[in-house]
This record gives sequence, C-alpha cells and structure tokens, in this order.
Amino acid sequence: MSSGTVTEPREQEREGVLRLSPRQIRFLALVRRECNRFLKIKRQTIGAPLLETFLYISVFGAALGSRINELHGFDYVVFVIPGLIMMAWAINAFANNSSSILQQKFQRAIDDQLSSPASPMELLLAFSLGGFLRGLVVAILTFVAASLLVDLPVEHVLVLIPGLFLVGFFFAQLGVFVGVRAEQFDDVAVWQTFVLTPLIFLGGVFYSASLLPQPFETLTHFNPVYYMIGIVRYGFLGYSETDVALSLLVLTAAVSVLVALNYRLFTRGTSLRA
Amino acid sequence: MALQIEDLVKRYPTGTEALKGVSLSIEAGEFFGLLGPNGAGKSTLIHCTTGLASPTSGSIRVFGHDAIDHYEQARLGVGLAPQDVNLDWFLTVEETLDYHGGYFGMRRRDRKERSAELLDAFSLTEKKDERTRTLSGGMKRRLILARALMHRPRLLILDEPTAGVDVELRLELWQYVQRINAEGTTILLTTHYLEEAEQLCDRISFINGGEIVATGSSDELAERFGVSSLEDAYLELVGRKELSRAHLASEEAA
Repeated sequence: MSSGTVTEPREQEREGVLRLSPRQIRFLALVRRECNRFLKIKRQTIGAPLLETFLYISVFGAALGSRINELHGFDYVVFVIPGLIMMAWAINAFANNSSSILQQKFQRAIDDQLSSPASPMELLLAFSLGGFLRGLVVAILTFVAASLLVDLPVEHVLVLIPGLFLVGFFFAQLGVFVGVRAEQFDDVAVWQTFVLTPLIFLGGVFYSASLLPQPFETLTHFNPVYYMIGIVRYGFLGYSETDVALSLLVLTAAVSVLVALNYRLFTRGTSLRA
Repeated sequence: MALQIEDLVKRYPTGTEALKGVSLSIEAGEFFGLLGPNGAGKSTLIHCTTGLASPTSGSIRVFGHDAIDHYEQARLGVGLAPQDVNLDWFLTVEETLDYHGGYFGMRRRDRKERSAELLDAFSLTEKKDERTRTLSGGMKRRLILARALMHRPRLLILDEPTAGVDVELRLELWQYVQRINAEGTTILLTTHYLEEAEQLCDRISFINGGEIVATGSSDELAERFGVSSLEDAYLELVGRKELSRAHLASEEAA
C-alpha cells in the first residue's frame, strides 16, 4: 500500500467509497444548505421548540394533569405527549421551509440554486428535507426528554414511524408551498397563526375529542390533524379514536397531492422564476 | 458557438413583451457586449439563458446544448454574476463558494481547491469565515464574481458587474476577466459604462425595446449610426443625441 492511500483525506476516501454522481453531490449540497441554515440558528430553530414543548409538558402534564383523572386508561401527561411530539415535528417542518424559502426569495439568493442544473424535483425534495429533518431532530429530542420524565410506551413502532414520517413530510411540503407562494412574511405568519395553530390545538393534542360536547365532537372529525394525532397516539399508546389504517391511507394521499402541487410550482417556476 | 439564441420571445403575464423575437450568436472565446437602456431586455435575456426566467417561445443553445427543456448540460457551461447582490446571508464567504460548487456537482476536494484559488484571486482569503452580510459592497461584488467562476464555466455572464464599485476593484476585475477570456472563457457583458465595452468587447449588440437593433464592433456600430464613437452611437439609439459630447462641443464653439 502506498503511503498516499493512508494519508488521503477523509472526504476523498468517502468519495472513493461512495462514488457519488454529480447529481447526488448536487442534491446533497442542496440539502446541506437547508440543514446548515437551521443549525446556524439552533437556539431559535431547535432550542426554542424544545423549551416550548417542555413548558407544555410541565403545564399540561405536571400542573394540570395532577388534577385530571386518567384518560382512556392513561395518565394525562402520557396521553398528551404523543400529540406534543407530532406537533413539534409538524410546526418545525412547516416553519423551517416556509421561512427558508421566503428569505431566499427576498434576498434572491435562491437564484443560485435555480440557475444550477438541479431539476424541479431535486429542488423540491431538498427544500422539503430541510424542514423535515429539523422537525425530526426536535421530535427525537422531545421524545428523549419526555422518556426521561415519564414512562412513555411505544406500542406499534411500525405504525408510529411511517405515521410520524408522513405527518412530518406533509407539513414540510405545506411549508414549501406557503414559502413559494408567499410574497411577504405576513403571508407565512397568517398560515401559522390562523390555520396551523388552531387546527393543531383543536385536533385533540391536549384532550380526547370523544369527551367534547356536541357539536364540537362532530366538528373535530373535519379537522385533518385529528386523524394525524390518532395515528401517532396509536403508535405510542396503542389507543386511537380514529380508524388508523384509513387515516394512514388518506394522509398518504394528501402528501401525494401536495407533492404533485409543489412539483407543478417548481416545474412552472411559479413565484420562483420570472 | 458559445451562445445561440433564436427568435426569443418573453411575454410576462401582464402582457408586457420584454423580448420580441431576439436572435443572437456569440462565438466561443468572444468578449461580447450587450448594451441598452434600462428596461431594454438585457437582464431578461440573461435570465432566460440561465433559467431564472421561462421564455415564451424561441430557442437558446449554450455550446450546442438546449438551455430551455434539457438544460442540465447548458447550465453547467454558464456562470452568472447578477446585477443585484444576491448572496445568502446565512453562509460564510467560503461556504458560498463551496455550496455553489456542490450545486454544480463538483467533488469536495475539487471544491476546496477551486475555492482556495478563487479566494486568493479575489483577495477574499482573510474573509473566508465571515458571513456574507458583514462584507463591504466591494467584497460582495468580488464574491459574486468568484461564485460565478466557481464551477469553471465556459460562458461567463456579467450583468453590470462594475455598478457602484471603486476604481481599483473595477480595474482588478477587468484584468482578471480579460485574463480568463484570453484563456478561452467566453464573456457576455452588460454595462452602462460604454468606455468599458469599447475597450473590452470584440463585438457589441445594442438592444432596445426588447429587440436587437444593431450588432458589430464598436467602430462598425459608430459607422452604422454615422457618428464617431460608441457613445454617440448609443445616444443615437436611445434618441438622446443632444447629449453627445461632440454635439455639445460644436454648440459651444458656435
């Protein structure tokens, strides 16, 4: 073996071993840029959501939960944690992608990616993965923190992982859609404040919809987030008020529709190219 | 042929026709100037070539590769230094070059070597770890040009690269661009500094109202408009010949 082989830099070895094609290098660069952005401001993008979730657990779990009896056989705090984990992933995936794309549009920095050889699908997936991965990081850290505080079961991991991934990807796609279509930061804030937050809060993160009086119980069934929480709660606790298989199918369909819609935006260049 | 544009039309949804059937050919190795008043269609033509605008009709080929429908090879051959500073605030100077190289499929080792070379060439090495938003205007301009050159494009498009830069940087920049042109890089330049175009460009096109109205060397253009300089030819083009220095001098003499 020549000494040159031994002293080769790690990246060179990696390239040699992985033999990345130019397209793969390009895609990785696009994804790395998105991750680099949220990691550079991690106090805001990871620290703040973690603190927020911790506060929810403290207030709704420890303080309020001590006065609430079990819900469907689970401690109140255990009942709400699956929804909190899902909420953390959803909100972070959405917020990351919508603001990252809008910021780059404002600075026109996005032209660097748009004038590269990257295809519309590569761009769409890379922008989506940024928020998806940020949501994943926050969700994992929330899960770890929650597991230290309470005994959190994982009953159906094969439902939980695809379920959470689909929810994360749905909100990542929604973030891309809003970021591309938005013309000002207010457009993103409107979605977050007047659409996502009410849907998530009224979707049953903090309560069981079956305990609501009419017409609120029926109204909850029109909230898509209710079914997402159902999937995740079933994955963790083995309990759900919704048809989990049907929810997974509908969620997959909803993700597909959003991907198709975003792909159309990127192919046509709507709100991105002149 | 480095760039071949045929019957390029760009109509915006508002109905404004920014390009009205533009045809243009730039030979490999040429230093080509595109001159015209604001709103003439220069940037639109550049954006169509680099994928930042979608043409309504017509064709664009970069070194023989279709730049509209099968753009991958075409875009690999083009580097764009845009008119407006469009740097990513989240990135450092070195990261700006590294990511750009990544977007164009360059391997990490190549990216490292190339960015070190360009940081040195544009006197940015000391600033390599600084975020782009902290740079001075001149430094930002240097970085934009370095970024455009990162993936070693065979066609470099400079959209008003010297707007608002100091004399030293302008001279440095032209020396560098002339050197890479001599080494074989084709240059497409838009500028409002006519003396720059006169000194640097082999051929120049005048564009006005979305149409190419004349193409030739600076002498040929002056001859075509029946005047003695490129500046006067330009003033004839935009209908402001009363601003001509020759005209003012003759009036003063009278």
